[in-house]
Amino acid sequence: MTNRESKKRLPLRCPACDAQLKVSKMVCVQCGTEVSGEFDLPVLTRLNEEEQHFMLEFVKASGSLKDMAKKMGVSYPTVRNYLDDLIEKLNNMAEE
Amino acid sequence: MKVLFEFLKNPFYRVAGYTSLVWGVVGMVVATAIAFCGGVHYHGLLHFGGAPNGAWWCFVVEHLVVWLVPAVLIYVSALFCSRSHVRPVDVLGTVAFAQLPFVLLSLLMAIPPIREITSVQTVEEVELLLSDMGRLLLVVWIGLLSLLLTIWVLYWMFRAISVACNLKGRNLWLVFIIGAFGGDVLCRYLIGFCY
Repeated sequence: MTNRESKKRLPLRCPACDAQLKVSKMVCVQCGTEVSGEFDLPVLTRLNEEEQHFMLEFVKASGSLKDMAKKMGVSYPTVRNYLDDLIEKLNNMAEE
Repeated sequence: MKVLFEFLKNPFYRVAGYTSLVWGVVGMVVATAIAFCGGVHYHGLLHFGGAPNGAWWCFVVEHLVVWLVPAVLIYVSALFCSRSHVRPVDVLGTVAFAQLPFVLLSLLMAIPPIREITSVQTVEEVELLLSDMGRLLLVVWIGLLSLLLTIWVLYWMFRAISVACNLKGRNLWLVFIIGAFGGDVLCRYLIGFCY
Protein backbone atom coordinates (compact mmCIF):
# COMPACT_ATOMS: atom_id res chain seq x y z
CA MET A 1 0.00 0.00 0.00
CA THR A 2 1.46 3.36 -0.97
CA ASN A 3 1.34 6.27 1.42
CA ARG A 4 0.83 8.90 -1.23
CA GLU A 5 -0.77 12.22 -0.20
CA SER A 6 -3.29 13.56 -2.69
CA LYS A 7 -4.15 17.24 -2.78
CA LYS A 8 -7.90 17.67 -2.38
CA ARG A 9 -9.55 20.51 -4.20
CA LEU A 10 -12.53 22.30 -2.73
CA PRO A 11 -15.48 21.44 -4.98
CA LEU A 12 -17.38 24.58 -5.96
CA ARG A 13 -20.13 23.19 -8.19
CA CYS A 14 -22.49 20.27 -7.83
CA PRO A 15 -21.19 17.38 -9.98
CA ALA A 16 -24.78 16.35 -10.76
CA CYS A 17 -26.53 19.61 -11.69
CA ASP A 18 -23.63 22.16 -11.72
CA ALA A 19 -25.35 24.43 -9.17
CA GLN A 20 -23.33 26.46 -6.67
CA LEU A 21 -22.43 24.33 -3.61
CA LYS A 22 -22.97 25.59 -0.04
CA VAL A 23 -21.33 24.63 3.24
CA SER A 24 -23.64 22.49 5.38
CA LYS A 25 -21.28 21.16 8.06
CA MET A 26 -18.11 22.34 9.78
CA VAL A 27 -16.03 20.23 12.14
CA CYS A 28 -13.46 21.13 14.79
CA VAL A 29 -10.64 18.65 14.21
CA GLN A 30 -9.40 19.16 17.80
CA CYS A 31 -12.51 18.36 19.83
CA GLY A 32 -14.85 16.95 17.22
CA THR A 33 -17.56 19.62 17.65
CA GLU A 34 -19.79 19.82 14.59
CA VAL A 35 -21.75 22.83 13.37
CA SER A 36 -24.54 22.25 10.90
CA GLY A 37 -26.45 24.77 8.81
CA GLU A 38 -26.40 26.31 5.36
CA PHE A 39 -23.58 28.76 4.74
CA ASP A 40 -22.49 30.51 1.55
CA LEU A 41 -18.88 30.05 0.51
CA PRO A 42 -16.89 33.30 0.76
CA VAL A 43 -16.70 35.03 -2.65
CA LEU A 44 -12.94 34.59 -3.04
CA THR A 45 -13.13 30.84 -2.45
CA ARG A 46 -15.61 30.59 -5.28
CA LEU A 47 -12.91 31.64 -7.77
CA ASN A 48 -10.97 28.87 -9.49
CA GLU A 49 -7.43 27.96 -8.46
CA GLU A 50 -5.73 30.10 -11.12
CA GLU A 51 -7.84 33.15 -10.23
CA GLN A 52 -7.17 32.71 -6.51
CA HIS A 53 -3.43 32.45 -7.23
CA PHE A 54 -3.63 35.66 -9.28
CA MET A 55 -5.43 37.46 -6.45
CA LEU A 56 -2.80 36.37 -3.93
CA GLU A 57 0.08 37.44 -6.17
CA PHE A 58 -1.67 40.72 -6.90
CA VAL A 59 -1.98 41.51 -3.19
CA LYS A 60 1.64 40.47 -2.62
CA ALA A 61 2.68 42.85 -5.43
CA SER A 62 0.89 45.68 -3.54
CA GLY A 63 -1.64 45.90 -6.34
CA SER A 64 0.92 46.91 -8.93
CA LEU A 65 -0.15 45.77 -12.40
CA LYS A 66 3.30 46.62 -13.75
CA ASP A 67 4.97 44.26 -11.26
CA MET A 68 2.39 41.58 -11.99
CA ALA A 69 3.04 41.91 -15.74
CA LYS A 70 6.79 41.49 -15.13
CA LYS A 71 6.25 38.52 -12.84
CA MET A 72 3.86 36.78 -15.25
CA GLY A 73 5.92 37.66 -18.35
CA VAL A 74 2.95 39.23 -20.13
CA SER A 75 2.07 42.75 -21.26
CA TYR A 76 0.47 45.36 -18.98
CA PRO A 77 -2.92 45.40 -20.76
CA THR A 78 -3.05 41.58 -20.63
CA VAL A 79 -2.85 41.71 -16.81
CA ARG A 80 -5.28 44.64 -16.62
CA ASN A 81 -7.78 42.77 -18.84
CA TYR A 82 -7.47 39.68 -16.62
CA LEU A 83 -8.10 41.79 -13.54
CA ASP A 84 -11.06 43.59 -15.17
CA ASP A 85 -12.62 40.25 -16.14
CA LEU A 86 -12.08 39.02 -12.59
CA ILE A 87 -13.74 42.14 -11.13
CA GLU A 88 -16.70 41.59 -13.44
CA LYS A 89 -16.91 37.96 -12.31
CA LEU A 90 -16.83 39.01 -8.64
CA ASN A 91 -19.53 41.61 -9.26
CA ASN A 92 -21.72 38.99 -10.92
CA MET A 93 -21.15 36.64 -7.98
CA ALA A 94 -22.16 39.35 -5.55
CA GLU A 95 -25.38 39.92 -7.51
CA GLU A 96 -26.25 36.18 -7.50
CA MET B 1 8.70 26.72 -32.14
CA LYS B 2 5.41 26.63 -30.24
CA VAL B 3 6.38 29.80 -28.37
CA LEU B 4 7.15 31.56 -31.67
CA PHE B 5 3.84 30.44 -33.15
CA GLU B 6 1.99 31.67 -30.06
CA PHE B 7 3.84 34.99 -30.30
CA LEU B 8 2.96 35.40 -34.00
CA LYS B 9 -0.66 34.53 -33.22
CA ASN B 10 -0.96 37.27 -30.64
CA PRO B 11 2.22 39.27 -29.93
CA PHE B 12 0.28 41.71 -27.73
CA TYR B 13 -0.22 39.07 -25.06
CA ARG B 14 3.43 39.73 -24.21
CA VAL B 15 4.27 43.05 -25.92
CA ALA B 16 2.38 46.32 -25.48
CA GLY B 17 2.87 49.87 -24.20
CA TYR B 18 6.23 51.56 -24.72
CA THR B 19 7.99 48.36 -25.87
CA SER B 20 5.57 47.90 -28.75
CA LEU B 21 5.76 51.64 -29.50
CA VAL B 22 9.56 51.54 -29.83
CA TRP B 23 9.45 48.43 -32.06
CA GLY B 24 6.63 49.91 -34.12
CA VAL B 25 8.38 53.25 -34.64
CA VAL B 26 11.65 51.51 -35.61
CA GLY B 27 9.68 49.39 -38.10
CA MET B 28 7.99 52.50 -39.43
CA VAL B 29 11.33 54.28 -39.98
CA VAL B 30 12.71 51.23 -41.83
CA ALA B 31 9.52 50.86 -43.91
CA THR B 32 9.60 54.60 -44.78
CA ALA B 33 13.27 54.38 -45.86
CA ILE B 34 12.59 51.33 -48.04
CA ALA B 35 9.45 52.94 -49.49
CA PHE B 36 11.42 56.12 -50.31
CA CYS B 37 14.22 54.17 -52.01
CA GLY B 38 11.77 51.96 -53.89
CA GLY B 39 9.16 54.65 -54.67
CA VAL B 40 6.42 52.71 -52.86
CA HIS B 41 3.57 54.99 -51.77
CA TYR B 42 0.88 54.20 -49.22
CA HIS B 43 -2.33 55.87 -50.39
CA GLY B 44 -4.22 54.52 -47.41
CA LEU B 45 -4.02 51.78 -44.81
CA LEU B 46 -4.93 49.14 -47.39
CA HIS B 47 -3.78 50.80 -50.62
CA PHE B 48 -0.25 51.10 -51.98
CA GLY B 49 1.58 51.61 -55.28
CA GLY B 50 2.98 54.49 -57.31
CA ALA B 51 2.18 58.21 -56.85
CA PRO B 52 3.21 61.49 -58.52
CA ASN B 53 4.96 63.04 -55.48
CA GLY B 54 8.45 61.62 -54.92
CA ALA B 55 9.52 64.07 -52.18
CA TRP B 56 10.91 62.45 -49.00
CA TRP B 57 8.41 64.20 -46.76
CA CYS B 58 5.53 62.66 -48.69
CA PHE B 59 6.66 59.14 -47.66
CA VAL B 60 7.05 60.28 -44.03
CA VAL B 61 3.57 61.85 -44.01
CA GLU B 62 2.02 58.73 -45.58
CA HIS B 63 3.46 56.42 -42.91
CA LEU B 64 2.55 58.77 -40.06
CA VAL B 65 -1.02 59.16 -41.33
CA VAL B 66 -1.41 55.39 -41.88
CA TRP B 67 -0.32 54.83 -38.26
CA LEU B 68 -1.95 57.75 -36.42
CA VAL B 69 -5.37 57.94 -38.10
CA PRO B 70 -6.44 54.32 -37.36
CA ALA B 71 -4.87 54.55 -33.86
CA VAL B 72 -6.81 57.72 -32.99
CA LEU B 73 -10.07 56.29 -34.40
CA ILE B 74 -9.55 53.08 -32.40
CA TYR B 75 -8.76 55.00 -29.20
CA VAL B 76 -11.77 57.32 -29.48
CA SER B 77 -14.21 54.51 -30.32
CA ALA B 78 -12.76 52.33 -27.54
CA LEU B 79 -13.52 55.09 -25.03
CA PHE B 80 -17.20 54.51 -25.81
CA CYS B 81 -17.13 50.73 -26.28
CA SER B 82 -14.71 49.48 -23.60
CA ARG B 83 -15.40 49.19 -19.87
CA SER B 84 -11.67 49.11 -19.12
CA HIS B 85 -9.32 52.05 -18.79
CA VAL B 86 -7.65 52.31 -22.21
CA ARG B 87 -4.13 53.81 -22.23
CA PRO B 88 -3.26 55.84 -25.36
CA VAL B 89 0.29 54.41 -25.32
CA ASP B 90 -1.09 50.86 -25.62
CA VAL B 91 -3.23 51.77 -28.63
CA LEU B 92 -0.47 53.77 -30.34
CA GLY B 93 2.14 51.12 -29.56
CA THR B 94 0.18 48.03 -30.54
CA VAL B 95 -1.16 49.62 -33.76
CA ALA B 96 2.41 50.63 -34.71
CA PHE B 97 3.62 47.10 -33.90
CA ALA B 98 0.76 45.58 -35.90
CA GLN B 99 2.04 47.47 -38.96
CA LEU B 100 5.50 45.83 -38.80
CA PRO B 101 4.65 43.56 -41.81
CA PHE B 102 4.61 46.79 -43.86
CA VAL B 103 8.43 46.55 -43.78
CA LEU B 104 8.16 43.28 -45.76
CA LEU B 105 5.48 44.77 -47.99
CA SER B 106 7.64 47.81 -48.81
CA LEU B 107 10.59 45.50 -49.45
CA LEU B 108 8.50 43.35 -51.79
CA MET B 109 7.13 46.32 -53.72
CA ALA B 110 10.57 47.93 -53.97
CA ILE B 111 12.14 44.98 -55.87
CA PRO B 112 12.98 46.45 -59.37
CA PRO B 113 10.97 44.00 -61.59
CA ILE B 114 7.96 44.41 -59.30
CA ARG B 115 8.36 48.19 -59.29
CA GLU B 116 8.33 48.09 -63.07
CA ILE B 117 5.07 46.14 -63.10
CA THR B 118 3.32 48.27 -60.46
CA SER B 119 4.22 51.46 -62.36
CA VAL B 120 2.31 50.28 -65.47
CA GLN B 121 -0.27 52.95 -66.37
CA THR B 122 -1.10 53.09 -70.09
CA VAL B 123 -3.36 50.63 -71.94
CA GLU B 124 -0.50 49.63 -74.28
CA GLU B 125 1.68 48.76 -71.29
CA VAL B 126 -1.13 46.67 -69.77
CA GLU B 127 -1.66 44.79 -73.07
CA LEU B 128 2.08 44.11 -73.29
CA LEU B 129 2.02 42.82 -69.72
CA LEU B 130 -0.94 40.52 -70.39
CA SER B 131 0.76 39.03 -73.45
CA ASP B 132 3.84 38.01 -71.44
CA MET B 133 3.02 34.85 -69.44
CA GLY B 134 6.07 35.14 -67.17
CA ARG B 135 5.29 38.71 -66.12
CA LEU B 136 1.62 37.86 -65.73
CA LEU B 137 2.49 35.07 -63.27
CA LEU B 138 4.72 37.51 -61.41
CA VAL B 139 1.76 39.91 -61.11
CA VAL B 140 -0.37 37.10 -59.63
CA TRP B 141 2.37 36.27 -57.11
CA ILE B 142 2.85 39.91 -56.13
CA GLY B 143 -0.90 40.22 -55.66
CA LEU B 144 -1.07 37.12 -53.47
CA LEU B 145 1.94 38.06 -51.35
CA SER B 146 0.82 41.65 -50.84
CA LEU B 147 -2.68 40.38 -49.98
CA LEU B 148 -1.22 37.99 -47.40
CA LEU B 149 0.89 40.74 -45.83
CA THR B 150 -2.12 43.08 -45.71
CA ILE B 151 -4.22 40.35 -44.04
CA TRP B 152 -1.37 39.85 -41.54
CA VAL B 153 -1.45 43.58 -40.67
CA LEU B 154 -5.25 43.50 -40.29
CA TYR B 155 -5.11 40.35 -38.13
CA TRP B 156 -2.54 41.91 -35.81
CA MET B 157 -4.59 45.12 -35.65
CA PHE B 158 -7.59 43.05 -34.61
CA ARG B 159 -5.52 41.41 -31.87
CA ALA B 160 -4.05 44.79 -30.87
CA ILE B 161 -7.55 46.23 -30.34
CA SER B 162 -8.64 43.17 -28.39
CA VAL B 163 -5.71 43.47 -25.93
CA ALA B 164 -5.14 47.23 -25.76
CA CYS B 165 -8.85 48.06 -25.36
CA ASN B 166 -10.05 44.84 -23.64
CA LEU B 167 -12.80 44.26 -26.18
CA LYS B 168 -14.59 41.10 -27.21
CA GLY B 169 -17.40 40.08 -29.53
CA ARG B 170 -19.52 42.75 -31.23
CA ASN B 171 -17.73 45.74 -29.72
CA LEU B 172 -14.36 44.38 -30.86
CA TRP B 173 -15.61 44.00 -34.45
CA LEU B 174 -17.19 47.46 -34.36
CA VAL B 175 -13.98 49.18 -33.21
CA PHE B 176 -11.95 47.11 -35.70
CA ILE B 177 -14.16 48.13 -38.63
CA ILE B 178 -14.01 51.80 -37.57
CA GLY B 179 -10.21 51.64 -37.14
CA ALA B 180 -9.26 49.59 -40.18
CA PHE B 181 -11.81 50.42 -42.85
CA GLY B 182 -12.87 53.86 -41.59
CA GLY B 183 -9.18 54.57 -41.08
CA ASP B 184 -8.40 53.53 -44.65
CA VAL B 185 -11.02 55.90 -46.08
CA LEU B 186 -9.82 58.81 -43.91
CA CYS B 187 -6.16 58.04 -44.68
CA ARG B 188 -6.83 58.10 -48.42
CA TYR B 189 -8.61 61.44 -48.10
CA LEU B 190 -5.80 63.00 -46.04
CA ILE B 191 -2.92 61.52 -48.05
CA GLY B 192 -4.65 62.77 -51.22
CA PHE B 193 -3.58 66.32 -50.22
CA CYS B 194 0.08 65.30 -50.70
CA TYR B 195 -0.29 64.71 -54.46
